[in-house]
Amino acid sequence: MTRPLVAIRGVSQRFGVEGVSVAALEGIDLDIPDGQFVSVVGPSGCGKSTLLSLIAGLRAPSSGAVFCDGEPITAPMPRKVGVIFQEANLLPWLSAIDNVAFPLKLRRVPRPERLQAAARMLELTGLAGFESRLPHQLSGGMKQRVAIARGLVQNPAVLLMDEPFASLDEQTRMVLGDELLRIWSETRKTVLFVTHSLNEAVYLADRVVVLSARPGRVVDDVDVDLPRPRSFAMTSSERFGILKDRIWQHIKHAERR
Amino acid sequence: MRRHERVIVAAVVLGLFGLWETRARLGRIDASLAPAPSTILDALVRLLKRPEVLQSLGVTAWEAIAAFLIAVPVGLLIGFILAEIPSLGGLLRPLVNFLFGVPKSIFLPVFILMFGVSIPQKIAFGVFTTIFVLIMGGIAAVQSVPPELVTVSRVYGASRLQIIREIYLPAMAPILLESARLGMVFNITAVLLCEIYGARDGIGYRIAAWGENLQMPQLYAALVLVATAAVAVNEALRRVETRLGAWRQRS
Repeated sequence: MTRPLVAIRGVSQRFGVEGVSVAALEGIDLDIPDGQFVSVVGPSGCGKSTLLSLIAGLRAPSSGAVFCDGEPITAPMPRKVGVIFQEANLLPWLSAIDNVAFPLKLRRVPRPERLQAAARMLELTGLAGFESRLPHQLSGGMKQRVAIARGLVQNPAVLLMDEPFASLDEQTRMVLGDELLRIWSETRKTVLFVTHSLNEAVYLADRVVVLSARPGRVVDDVDVDLPRPRSFAMTSSERFGILKDRIWQHIKHAERR
Repeated sequence: MRRHERVIVAAVVLGLFGLWETRARLGRIDASLAPAPSTILDALVRLLKRPEVLQSLGVTAWEAIAAFLIAVPVGLLIGFILAEIPSLGGLLRPLVNFLFGVPKSIFLPVFILMFGVSIPQKIAFGVFTTIFVLIMGGIAAVQSVPPELVTVSRVYGASRLQIIREIYLPAMAPILLESARLGMVFNITAVLLCEIYGARDGIGYRIAAWGENLQMPQLYAALVLVATAAVAVNEALRRVETRLGAWRQRS
């Protein structure tokens, strides 16, 4: 078997909250092969976002280690890992294209080159023609498309998505989900997708990792054996229902506590 | 303002001046207290030809600019420090808030005792009056920087310097300029107050002298001059502010 692209080894994370140590994650072990689309679900506050911030290199785990492409992650690795947050978090004073080019600017890529790359990404995310718009001139869904383009502009191997569609309305969400699958099938990134929506988790992913309530542990690792390309009709298939139900059983217990 | 609104405003202003002019000429208002606008305009033209008046304007401008150039960087720096070091900010911000509310004019006699009636005294008092606005502005500017944008840039590999240049500066620019503009208003007021209170030169000094000698045309002409200059500075700063802050507009 090939080496996993992202490897999480015995990771635990504790936070000090007003002098009390709180465990957010405990003993997480995960191997994510190259090109896999993984959804991460779990009850509220189970440390899903913490897990992503560890892979993003924004913090170091209290114990254990995270590897990307065999290298331990100790700081952000912008060329290997792209991150998309719940809010688009665009720089409001930059146009769409300059926002997409921003990671390249930080790396001092010459302007013509970075604008060229950014224009390609805007095209990929369906925003050709909106290059010069400022963020406040874009709808919520369009802003998130810009954020996805920004995440992809350095051609990272891994895309981390922290509830990227959570603040969008249901319809925009469904459209963007399909768009994401199209982009994924064109670019074959490894995606870690944190979500609250079980539909979204199953619909998009090859595999759903289910975390327990705090401290988050992996309680189930579900192989989504639905064929690709996915279609809206599959969401009402029997298999889809069985998978969703299996995940829901874990979460239901945790949320009831 | 829309075009027709501008026309209305201009008409009202012109109308008032016309009314003033006719009533002054007809002797209906006391010309020794309110000389006709044409007399004031005439005095203004003559003032601008007198070298000593131009020199006074120069002195005032120099005092205001010097005070501004000291107060803006020092005030903003103090503001940044108070905002970025919470322990220090917690101790000193109540003090700044308290001093901000105290009228600065009551300290003028102290500045005369400390510096004498001099140009440094005007500059020092200008700085003292202005700096609190800038400290508050500096704090507000830092607090206006969205922390999530800092996180985003860290994720994309920004260094500390890049975070300051790419996130902090553009995010703070509108508030910084706004505080500089407000500071300038306070600053000009402070310098003129100093000059009117006691000075050897400066346009405020001349205004006080003309007032005491009942030289009303000159006095009003000087008022027009100072008001125009202050409005021009304010508008220029506001233009820059609007342009740099265009992204703040919500659609």
